[in-house]
Amino acid sequence: MPVVKVLTEGIGEVDLRDIAVYQKRGGYEQWKRAVTEMKPADVADITMKSGLRGRGGAGFPTGRKWSFLPNNGRPRYMVCNCDEAEPGTFKDHMLLEETPHLVLEGILLGTYAIGSKHAFIYIRGEFEHGYRIFSAALAQAREAGFVGQGLFGTDLGIEVTVHRGAGAYICGEETALLNSLEGRRGEPRLKPPFPAVKGLYGEPTVVNNVETLATLPFLLKNGPEWFAKVGPEKSPGYKIVSVSGHVKKPGNFEVPLGTPLRELLELAGGPRDGRKIVAVQPGGGSSACLFEEHLDLPYDFDTMAANGTMLGSGAVVFFDDSTNFVEAALALVRFYAHESCGQCTPCREGGHWLEVTLERIMHGGGLDSDIDMLVAVSHQLTGINLCPLGDSIEPFLASVVKRFEAQFRAYVRKPEAAPAAVSA
Amino acid sequence: MSATDSTQRDFSAIVAKVEPEARKLLAGYPPGNERSALLPILHAFQNVEGWVSPEAMARTAEWVGVPVSVVESTASFYTLFHRAPVGRYMLTPCRNLSCIINGAGSIMAHFREKLGIGHNQTTEDGLFSYEEAECLAACDRAPCMQVNLQFFYDLTTEKVDTMLQAMRDGTFEVAPLPQSVAPGPDWHVASATALRSAGAQGVSDPNDPGGMGDKSGLSMIERLIKDPRPIEARPTHERLVTDGAAVASYAENSNGTGGSH
Repeated sequence: MPVVKVLTEGIGEVDLRDIAVYQKRGGYEQWKRAVTEMKPADVADITMKSGLRGRGGAGFPTGRKWSFLPNNGRPRYMVCNCDEAEPGTFKDHMLLEETPHLVLEGILLGTYAIGSKHAFIYIRGEFEHGYRIFSAALAQAREAGFVGQGLFGTDLGIEVTVHRGAGAYICGEETALLNSLEGRRGEPRLKPPFPAVKGLYGEPTVVNNVETLATLPFLLKNGPEWFAKVGPEKSPGYKIVSVSGHVKKPGNFEVPLGTPLRELLELAGGPRDGRKIVAVQPGGGSSACLFEEHLDLPYDFDTMAANGTMLGSGAVVFFDDSTNFVEAALALVRFYAHESCGQCTPCREGGHWLEVTLERIMHGGGLDSDIDMLVAVSHQLTGINLCPLGDSIEPFLASVVKRFEAQFRAYVRKPEAAPAAVSA
Repeated sequence: MSATDSTQRDFSAIVAKVEPEARKLLAGYPPGNERSALLPILHAFQNVEGWVSPEAMARTAEWVGVPVSVVESTASFYTLFHRAPVGRYMLTPCRNLSCIINGAGSIMAHFREKLGIGHNQTTEDGLFSYEEAECLAACDRAPCMQVNLQFFYDLTTEKVDTMLQAMRDGTFEVAPLPQSVAPGPDWHVASATALRSAGAQGVSDPNDPGGMGDKSGLSMIERLIKDPRPIEARPTHERLVTDGAAVASYAENSNGTGGSH
């Protein structure tokens, strides 16, 4: 089994929320080393060389993202995106609550690397518990002299502000997050300019995911080659994969990228007794489904993209032959309709239209033409919105309608006799 | 509406509780960017009052230096801010993918039955508010929910019954929310005209395909059935409906009041 313990080391064994425990295991040593022995450019260089790609969803190389910051002498900001809400994803939730000091050390290293003096962590409103844990960890670290002014006897100062969201999936999109952090409605901004040029308060800003930043201490400790040599060349390193759905032991599993989907299924205890897996959604609610014939594909950014889907945030949901895909599709479509910020008409109206149509099908009022309409409307609303939220409706919906069309048609023809499951 | 009448309480006492925290929050942002503290301050008010009252929004506006309308507009964007009073226990089971394929449907049906209320409603005694939430990022312990933002996992109907009983008995492990004003039947704040304004979600509706004023969509269906042109020759937006007879039979059998919002 390829499961590894890097970011997840110690979770469930010791109380990593206690700064003494975290430090005893080498915590904040890399932070001290960076400030006292390294230049910001050294940290950025290591990150660039490691090939680390963003763990939040887009998979953009972190070092390159940092390199876009202009040298204009303006203040810069680091923003850690902990607005985890992609359906099926629960890794940042775990990191925040179980190992907050690692998250904080990662934030500090990232902030230092980009030459910023002020970092923010935007925590999803529903993570009130995690917010309290992180705030307590931050207070401990401040008292220990790891955050604030005059770090390790130098004249360097870095401030960290914890900011709680208030229940809006769209704030995970980086420009919506920045608007929300500025006290505005969480509506995505028109790009360009990208945040690297004009971000928080109009200044150069980097927005990085929790897991991305939490990887930094290990890159410094073990060197970039240690990370770069793991997994596929263009998709290297370890990744926490959130596995859920119809498996016996759902959970977070840290694995090298490139681990086959079937091994992820086995790590999660395999399918439930007497059932077989018919589909897998490999990259969160916004990704298209793969099917049983794809289970031997290696799980990495490029392989997923080459197969018409994405690795996204690393949320893998398995579906067995008991699944009612009409209900599953409704759950996701309703989610996107609910979370649309409303700025772009195709997303706002299209999502709503699809939701009501799916509800109509579920409740016996569906038409045969509705099935074609689901595919057509979801396709038509794609690619013409400010942000990727609207575009996230089509992948899952279209892929399951295509694969399990009979189940959808059966609902339409005779709802009361519709098979509740694929196998029926 | 007496339910949202917030004039009967001593708001200055609430401000006294919130202000020190608000000052601290304001200091967390670079000077000149006080507006950033808008959401955190609203959270602070909601923690004390149980909801975000008009007075709280006005005071927040004053502290962060924006008009009240800006605070209202911003607050209305976020589902966690309740701009009208809610129950003592905010029950939010997850209705998203991993939970729904693991039995969340029966958990939600159980809540609705036991509480006698639906999505976004409050019980008459003001004890429970109920909202079906989107993915709560706890899919490994599905079906899951939050009670006053604290997580509960691996739900069963028996577990739900035990939890509800403990809340009624006052022995539940999560503290009840403060409630500065008694709640109404729901916490929805929006005028009917706002919902119907151009651009508001739900103007287009498959159950009201003719648009405003065509509640059943009958005029559009009639147009489709009587249209002698082949599908391909019809205006683009009507091409998708290809089965005229089925449309007609649906129209006959439907009561014409569609929509889910």
